Amino acid sequence: MSSLSPTVFTKAEIIQASRTADWLILVFAFLVFTGGFHVHAMLTMGDWDFWTDWKDRRLWVTVTPIMCITFPAAVQYWMWDKLRLPLGATFTILGLLFGEWVNRYFNFWGWTYFPINFVWAATLVPGAIILDVILLWSKSFLITAVIGGLAFGLIFYPGNWSMLAVLHQPVEYNGMVMTIADIQGYHYVRTGTPEYIRFVEKGTLRTFGKDVVPVSAFFSGFICILIYFIWHFFGRWYSTTRFIDQY
Amino acid sequence: MAASSSAISRAVTAEQPGFLNHRNLWLVVAGFTFFNLFVRWYEEVYGWSAGLDAFAPEFKTYWMNFLYTEWVLEIVFFSYIGAYLWKTRTRDMDAVTPREEMHRHFHHFVWLLAYGMAIYWGASFYTEQDGTWHQTVIRDTDFTPSHVIEFYMSYPIYIITGWGAFMYARTRIPMFSKGVSLPYLVVVVGPFMILPNVGLNEWGHTFWWMEELFVAPLHYGFVFFGWMALGLCGLLSQIFERISELAGPALGTAPAPASKASY
Repeated sequence: MSSLSPTVFTKAEIIQASRTADWLILVFAFLVFTGGFHVHAMLTMGDWDFWTDWKDRRLWVTVTPIMCITFPAAVQYWMWDKLRLPLGATFTILGLLFGEWVNRYFNFWGWTYFPINFVWAATLVPGAIILDVILLWSKSFLITAVIGGLAFGLIFYPGNWSMLAVLHQPVEYNGMVMTIADIQGYHYVRTGTPEYIRFVEKGTLRTFGKDVVPVSAFFSGFICILIYFIWHFFGRWYSTTRFIDQY
Repeated sequence: MAASSSAISRAVTAEQPGFLNHRNLWLVVAGFTFFNLFVRWYEEVYGWSAGLDAFAPEFKTYWMNFLYTEWVLEIVFFSYIGAYLWKTRTRDMDAVTPREEMHRHFHHFVWLLAYGMAIYWGASFYTEQDGTWHQTVIRDTDFTPSHVIEFYMSYPIYIITGWGAFMYARTRIPMFSKGVSLPYLVVVVGPFMILPNVGLNEWGHTFWWMEELFVAPLHYGFVFFGWMALGLCGLLSQIFERISELAGPALGTAPAPASKASY
């Protein structure tokens, strides 16, 4: 292989080919990561992300970052270790958001008529940028897991607060105190909605309210550290360049 | 440096066609886009007008006949693509010149892009769409309008496209003909396994009434096989390595060895 003649290709040809390949591969990787990550996300934390009445102060805050640090960790490993690109987390999270927003608009709203302010997708971009920046600065998967993973969990709720705050305003409805998100859920009955008024938030959340989010986010960050570790090894395993003789 | 290489690149574009067949690329992009826009329109119109009651005659007309047509076309396409690529395979890989090999890598990229588009429409667009349909319309058959499109159309399409890409590489690109790429197998066979997993899914849905939770454990088979999309990391690494070998002499550089991970 190394005995190739320099005259086989010109330098200009190779530069042009390299740029063309960059675009093709960028789009291909974006689409495939989007597909795999979106399936993973919608089936492990999707219900919390689909509807605003599910965007509660405990499980949404806990589950979403834990489930969504997976692909970023794996792809960060590949992009950093093999390509020296500190973009893996942001790249995959943008793919996930692309898949989710296209769906919420063209299907949740476009086909089944749920209003967009009931079905918007939570953003994970702040956490993804933090993960990439910490990897770029530290050049260490250990530090990225511990600091970045914790930050990924902690930043999730504040990152979404500007979209969610208005829907958590209290209102009185038929003599009961609810949030606007509760009323959205009550009016937009879904197949999975029980025949009674249900608050997704359970237990003492509404009297214990001010402490639940930071506790949940901190717990989420703790698990994110562990999940990052496991999934960065997934990235390593999936980056194998092995050929096999028999299958 | 950037300006000069841009100028070089423009000059080359003017003089030579390059390695990529642009006509094939845009045919693939336009084909997938317009086909899926048509399907989405069909869902919009016939989902609500003929897809609510599986026992109604119009359901058979617009949805079951659509399903049967899909099945026939899928078997035909799968068989034809595999047979054609095998029959026209390169029998002497040692005779493939570096220039021809580079052309084939770019043709392979078009196959991979097609696979990416098929994966996006199947795994992302139609799969989450199924969630909102079943949160709105109670299922009374396995072959609901969203399933006719998602499970039995979009998944076979990405399987066929992945099969085509794999077979193209295996029969025409020297590096893929001399052994079986493990990550290529993972990225093609893993998502393929989502289709057999539909059997588990439908079996579960007929077995008991369950709340329409997308995060129900019954669905975790889809999740597991979705992870296999990450196989493209290894696949692209293999391709980069070979293209670097081909391009290295012209650039006067040897391919850089992969760096060690830092912990």
